[in-house]
Amino acid sequence: MTDFMSYLVLGITRGSMYALIALGYTLVYGVLQLINFAHSEVFMSGAFGSYAIVHLLVGDGKGTPAWAVPFVLIAGILSGAITAAAIAWTLERVAYRPLRKRGAPKLAFLISAIGASFFLSQLAGKLFGRLTSNSFPAFWDQNHIIFHLFGAPVRTLQIVIVGSAVVMMLFLDRLVSSTKLGRSIRAVSEDAPTAALMGIDIDKTISRTFIIGGLLGGAAGFLFGLNFSLGNTMGFLPGVKAFAAAVLGGIGNIRGAMIGGLVLGIVENMVPVVHIDTSWTDVVAFVVLVLVLMFRPTGILGERLGRAA
Amino acid sequence: MSAPKRTNPRTESLKRLVSCLLASLVVALMWGPQEGSFGNFWFGITQSIFKPRVLVFLALGVVLFLVISFWPKVVPYLTRPGVGPLVSGGVTVLAAQTLMHWGDGIGDSKFGTVATAVSNTPGIAPLTKAFFGWLCWVMLAVIFVLAALAIVRGIKVLAWVAAGLSLVAAVIAYVAHHSVVTYAHLLDHSLGVYVEIIGYLVIITAAVVTALSSAEMAEGRVAVNRVLGWRPGLPLVVLGLVVGLLAFASATWFSPQNFNATMSDTHERFRGTGLAPLAVQYLIWLGWTLFAVTTLVGAAAAYLRNRVLGWVAAAGGAISVVLTLITIYDFSKLAGQLHVDSATGPWQNLGAGGWMACGAFFLIGAGGFIAATAHGSVREALARAADSDVVASGRAASTQFLSAPGAMRSGIMLAIAVALFYPPTATGFWQSVLVSEIGIYVLLAIGLNVVVGWAGLLDLGFIAFYAIGSYTTAYLVGSLPIKPPSWLHMSPLLAIPFAVAICLLAGLALGAPTLRLRGDYLAIVTLGFGEIIRIVAVNADGVTNGSRGPDTQVPHPVIHLGPIHITWGLNQLQYWYLLLVFVVIVLLAFRRLENSRIGRAWAAIREDEVAAQATGINTFQIKLLAFAIGASTSGLAGVFFASQVGFFNPDNFVLNNSILVVAYVVFGGMGSLPGAMAGAALLTWLPEFLKDQVPAADRQMWIGAVVLAMMIFRPGGLLPARRRAIELRGFDGAGSQPRAVPASEGM
Repeated sequence: MTDFMSYLVLGITRGSMYALIALGYTLVYGVLQLINFAHSEVFMSGAFGSYAIVHLLVGDGKGTPAWAVPFVLIAGILSGAITAAAIAWTLERVAYRPLRKRGAPKLAFLISAIGASFFLSQLAGKLFGRLTSNSFPAFWDQNHIIFHLFGAPVRTLQIVIVGSAVVMMLFLDRLVSSTKLGRSIRAVSEDAPTAALMGIDIDKTISRTFIIGGLLGGAAGFLFGLNFSLGNTMGFLPGVKAFAAAVLGGIGNIRGAMIGGLVLGIVENMVPVVHIDTSWTDVVAFVVLVLVLMFRPTGILGERLGRAA
Repeated sequence: MSAPKRTNPRTESLKRLVSCLLASLVVALMWGPQEGSFGNFWFGITQSIFKPRVLVFLALGVVLFLVISFWPKVVPYLTRPGVGPLVSGGVTVLAAQTLMHWGDGIGDSKFGTVATAVSNTPGIAPLTKAFFGWLCWVMLAVIFVLAALAIVRGIKVLAWVAAGLSLVAAVIAYVAHHSVVTYAHLLDHSLGVYVEIIGYLVIITAAVVTALSSAEMAEGRVAVNRVLGWRPGLPLVVLGLVVGLLAFASATWFSPQNFNATMSDTHERFRGTGLAPLAVQYLIWLGWTLFAVTTLVGAAAAYLRNRVLGWVAAAGGAISVVLTLITIYDFSKLAGQLHVDSATGPWQNLGAGGWMACGAFFLIGAGGFIAATAHGSVREALARAADSDVVASGRAASTQFLSAPGAMRSGIMLAIAVALFYPPTATGFWQSVLVSEIGIYVLLAIGLNVVVGWAGLLDLGFIAFYAIGSYTTAYLVGSLPIKPPSWLHMSPLLAIPFAVAICLLAGLALGAPTLRLRGDYLAIVTLGFGEIIRIVAVNADGVTNGSRGPDTQVPHPVIHLGPIHITWGLNQLQYWYLLLVFVVIVLLAFRRLENSRIGRAWAAIREDEVAAQATGINTFQIKLLAFAIGASTSGLAGVFFASQVGFFNPDNFVLNNSILVVAYVVFGGMGSLPGAMAGAALLTWLPEFLKDQVPAADRQMWIGAVVLAMMIFRPGGLLPARRRAIELRGFDGAGSQPRAVPASEGM
C-alpha cells in the first residue's frame, strides 16, 4: 500500500507535467488540426530561459534565504513561460504561417516543425553546451518531506509542481470557457472559415493559441528541470510522451489533455507496482495507449476543443 | 483567410527591417565560434553577438532588407534572358572555389589550402600560381560584372567578350588544377575543378543567350525544353563527347605509386609485359576509334532522328563499355601479378579515366537509344501541337520542367550513368557513405513513400520494420543467442524472402488493429510500435543479446549459383552494386504500382477517405496493403544492412531515424519516387558534406535549418509528384483560368 501510494504520488507529479505539455499540443491541434512537433523544443527553451533567470537571482544557490524561495520559484515559472511563449510565437510566424498562406499539404507542416525542432535543440546545444545532465542551483530543500499520504512521503517539490499545474490548468479552463480570446479559440477550432466570417481574426487567434501553449509548456519546462535535469535534448522524450497523452485524452480536447497526461504519468509510475521491470516502462505506456485507442478510437474524452471546453 | 489589413507602409518596412536584422543575428549565432556551457551561461551568445564580426551579419541583414524592399524594381531585370544562368553559374563557381575539394592529399584539400600550398611551392608554373593566388577571383569578378552589364544594358559585344573570357577562365582553371596534380603526383578524386568548369560553361550559356536574344523577357524553362527537345538524345551524346574527350586525353587511367598515367602512358607502362592483345590494341587505337565511331553514329542518329542508326549507336556504346571494362580489368590484373605498388588483384590502383570512358560510352549509347525510341513520341508531340484545341495545354506543358520529349528519360539515363560509373572513382570514405548512408536510406525512403507519399498514412515507426528485417537475418544466419534449427540456417541473401515475409506479417499485424484510426492517431501508434520494437530488442537479452546486438558477426553475402561465385567482402563498391540491384528491382515493381488501380486507390484515400469509400474502394484493405508493401521494402533494407555491417545494435533503430525517413520523403516531394530518392540522397549526403564546412556537432542544426527553409519556400518538396503538382496548381500551368481537363491528364 505504501509502495502503491508513493508511486501514485510520483505518477501524479509526472502526470501533471505531462498534462501541461500536452495542453500545448492539444490547443494547437484544436486550431490548426496539426501536430506541433516542435513543441518539445518550446518546452526545452522554457527550461533554459528559467535557468538563466534563476541562475541570475540565486547564483549557485547557497545561502538563499527562505523567504526568497517562493519569489524565485515564481520568477522561474514566469521566465520559463515567457521565454517559451516567445519561442512558440516565433515558431508560428516562421515555420507555420508561411506554409498556411501557401496552402501547403499537411505533412509539409510536420516536416517544417521537425526541421525547426532539430534546429532549436541543436542551436541551444551550440549556445549553452550539449551536456544533458545540468541541474538548477540548489536554492531550497526541494526534497523536504512535508507530510505522509497513507505512508507515502510527499515532498515540497511535488506540492509545488502539482499545485502550480492545477492553478495553471484552472486558469486555462476559465480562459477558454469564458473570455473573448477563449471564445475565438473555440470558434476557430470548431470551424475556421465561419469564424473568419464572424469577424474573428484567425491569424491573431492562432498566434495567441501558440502563446498560451508556450506559456504552459515553458512553465512545465521549469518544473521538469527542477525535478529532473535539463539539457538541449531534454524536450524529446517528454514531448513524445505528452503528445501520446494528448492523443490518449482525445486530441484537441483540453480537459482530455489534462486527464491523458495524468493517466499516462500514473501508468508509467505504476509499472513497478505490478512487478514489471522499469526498463519496460515505455512499452507499457504505449501498449496502454494502443489499447485505449482501440476501444475508444478518439481518446478518453473524445475530440473537439469546442465541444468539451 | 482574413481580409488583408490596411497597414502603414512605413511600419511595414520597419517590421521587415527588424525581422531581417533578427534573422541575421540568428545566423550570427549559428555561425558562432564558441560553444557555451551551463557554468558560463551567456558565453556562447556573447562570443557570437558582442564581437565586431556581428557587424558583417547585420550588414547582410540590411542587404537582405534592401533586396526585399526593392524587389519590385529588381524583378524586371531578373526576367531578362540570361540572368538565371548567370546567377547560378556565378554561385557554382563561387561554391567551387570555397567549398569543394581541389586536390586530394593536400591538407583538407579545399581550394584555400591548395592555394596556400601552391604559393609555398617554388618551381610551379607561374600561370598556376597566379590562378590560385588572385587570378581566379579577378576572373570571376570581371566576367560576372561584364555579363551583368551586358544583360542590363543589352550590349551584345560585351556579352560575347564575357563568353570568351569565361571560356579562357575555364581552360586556365583546368590547366592550373592539372599542373598541381601532376606536380604533386596525387591520385586525385577531387571534383572542384569540374564544378568550376561547369559553372563557367553556365556563364557562357548566359552570355550567349544574352547576345543572341532579342526578347525583353526570358522564358527560361521554355528555352531549356526547346534545347532539350530539339533532337532527343543529342544532349546525352554531347555530354558523352565531353566526358570521353577528358577521359581519353587527360584523365588518369592507372596510378601506381601516385604516378598518374593517362591512357597513352598506361600503354607505355605495360609495353612488353605480356598484356592481353585486346587491351594493348584498345590502349593504342581501339579506344579512340570506338569513341569516334560511336560519337559520330550517335550524333548522326540524334540529328537525323534515324531509328536504325540509334540502335547501332546504342549497341556500339554497350559493346564499348564492355571492351573498356575488359581492358582495365586486364591491365589492373596484370599489375597485380607484377606486384606493381603492392597490388593484390584486379581493379586496384585505377584512376578515374577508365570509368569516365565507360560513362562516356554509356551516355553516347543512351543518346542513341533515346534517339531510336523517341521517334514515336516526337511525332505524337508534333501532332498534339498541331491540334489547335490543345495548343494551350502544350504550352503549359512546355513550361514544366523536363517536359520536352525524351528529356525525362535523358535525365534517368544520366542518373544511371552516374550511379554505375561514379562510385569507383570516389574515395573510400565516400564509397562507404554511398553504401551505408545514402543507398540504404534511399531504399527506405522508396518504401516509406508508398505509405506516406501515396497512401497518405503518417508512419512514424518505419524503422521498426528495418529492425525486424535486420534481426530476422541475424537469427537466420545464427548470429543471435537463440539459434535457428539447423535446416533453417542459411546465408544472408537467402534470408531475404523470410525477412520480407516477416516484415510483411509485422506490417499486417500492426496495421490491422490501427489502420481504422485517423491520421494523427496512427502517427502516435506507429511511433509507439517503433519504440516498442527497439525496447524489446534492448531488453530481451536472451533472444537479441540486448543492447550489444548480435554476438557473432552476421556474415557477408555470398552467391554460389552454378558457375557463378560472388563473395562480398570489405570492399564497399561490391555492396553498392548489390544495393543498386535491390533499388532497381524495387523501383521497377513500384513504378507499375503507382498508376495501377491500387495506386489510384491510394491517391483517392489520401485526398478524401470518405469519398474514396463512397466510390467502392475497400479503404481498410488498400491501406493495409500500402502498410505491408512499405514494411517489406524496409525489411529488404534491413537484410542488406545486417549483412553489410556485420555487427549492429538497437541504437541503429532509434525513433529519430524513423522521423528522418519521413523527413526525407516529404522533403523530396511526397508521392514522387524520384523525389523521395532525391530527398533521401540529398539529406544523407548533406551531413557528410557539412563535416568539412562546420563543426561536426553543429551539422544537425544546419540540416534542421535547411529542412525548415525548404518547407517554407517550397512546401511541395524538391521534386513534387506530378499528380500532386497538378492538384496544387490546377491543370493550367499558370493557374489563371479554369479549363477543361485534357484527356491525357485525366485520372
